[in-house]
Amino acid sequence: MVTLFPEKLLNIITIDSLEDKLVDSFKKYGVSGYTIVRARGVGSSGMHADMSGFDANILVKVILPEDRVQNLLDSLERKIRKGYHLTVFVYDVQVMRPEKFNIPWNE
Amino acid sequence: MSSLNNLLLPAVLFFALGFIARIIKSDLRFPPDLAKVLSIYLLMAIGLHGGYELARADLMMALSSIMWALILGFSLPIAGYLGLLLTGKVNPMDAAAISAHYGSVSAGTFLTAVAYLDNISVEYETYPLIMLAVMESPAIIVGLILAVKARHTLAAKEGSSSNSKTAAVADDDDENSSGFGALLREAFTNGSVVVLTGSMIIGAISAPSGMEKLEPFTEEIFMGVLCLFLFDMGMVAARRIGDFRQVGPVLALFGVVMPLFGGVVGAYVGAMALGFGVGGTTLVAVLGASASYIAVPPAMRLAVPEANPSFYLTLSLGITFPFNVVVGIPLYHTLAQAIVV
Repeated sequence: MVTLFPEKLLNIITIDSLEDKLVDSFKKYGVSGYTIVRARGVGSSGMHADMSGFDANILVKVILPEDRVQNLLDSLERKIRKGYHLTVFVYDVQVMRPEKFNIPWNE
Repeated sequence: MSSLNNLLLPAVLFFALGFIARIIKSDLRFPPDLAKVLSIYLLMAIGLHGGYELARADLMMALSSIMWALILGFSLPIAGYLGLLLTGKVNPMDAAAISAHYGSVSAGTFLTAVAYLDNISVEYETYPLIMLAVMESPAIIVGLILAVKARHTLAAKEGSSSNSKTAAVADDDDENSSGFGALLREAFTNGSVVVLTGSMIIGAISAPSGMEKLEPFTEEIFMGVLCLFLFDMGMVAARRIGDFRQVGPVLALFGVVMPLFGGVVGAYVGAMALGFGVGGTTLVAVLGASASYIAVPPAMRLAVPEANPSFYLTLSLGITFPFNVVVGIPLYHTLAQAIVV
């Protein structure tokens, strides 16, 4: 039987041009890594069809320990207050190797 | 008749085909990044070709073209901003973001104009190409300055009534990325500017024998790629026009009036200030008339998040681009014929 450990999975859906700013925040708040996929859909900010790359969205996934979630959420909250459209939701997840999510990544 | 000539240009017909394909709900889809890939090719090809010719052109004339491109790039968005505010229907943030699109340029429209002039065998100067490269950026900066100004005005209004400071949220994550210097850097290092300017330099310093070998790439397939690009853009434009109702009649009208205004200003700059022939004057008019849809939208999304992206995208892609490609270019050509002495 493999033991699983609890972590938080933070999801963000936003415009692709915000990627660099999000990555800056991840570095600042000690995130261990992130995954970004291209996304399209419809929501409160209209349709993002990703047609010819003109209005692409991204879906960002970050797994992190619970004690680091709040600071990151605060920074996302500031972005939303500035007018950026972000859809943010958090899952409880279970991971196999918690140590992977404790150490900030190096480039 | 010249406007019929433009409509029967294969590239314009493909634009119509893309538009129709979308209207009849065809399942035709291009890969998401095709238009971007093609526009990189188009900028490379026109840059190499233009750089090669410019290396043999008059330096004073080139400098004077650059100066006028800067004047147009800085003044057109201010005119657009004031025009939008005068309507009383547009909030200052949207006005700043929209007018930045109109001060910047659309390489797709410019290249369609080149194809149009080639088709009716009108000679044109190469200098408008440098202007195309120069005019990508200044409007972004003007748009940002207008947005900052609007933000301060709104913040002051809110501050006096409710002491709220929402409009000026301090975002400590942004210390490295949103200073004015960083924005300037972004404006001048955006992809289109790098590809076009870089290709022009490569074209200018390359040996003629090397450039000859590139001719199949820069000349022979050019019109075919332009057709493919406009085919894709026709589909994008048709999808955008669905947002027409959301934009409203005032903004939709702006999407036609602003290019006409910019076109007339551009034509006079081309003919009077720069002394170009009919071909060159038409191209400067097209630069004045066209609205950016590649470089400016992501810059505005980042820097003016308060503005509604469907306004500026629908205006530049759904209204102004089709208008210029189908109606505008022959119109600017006719205007150029009338004012060039």
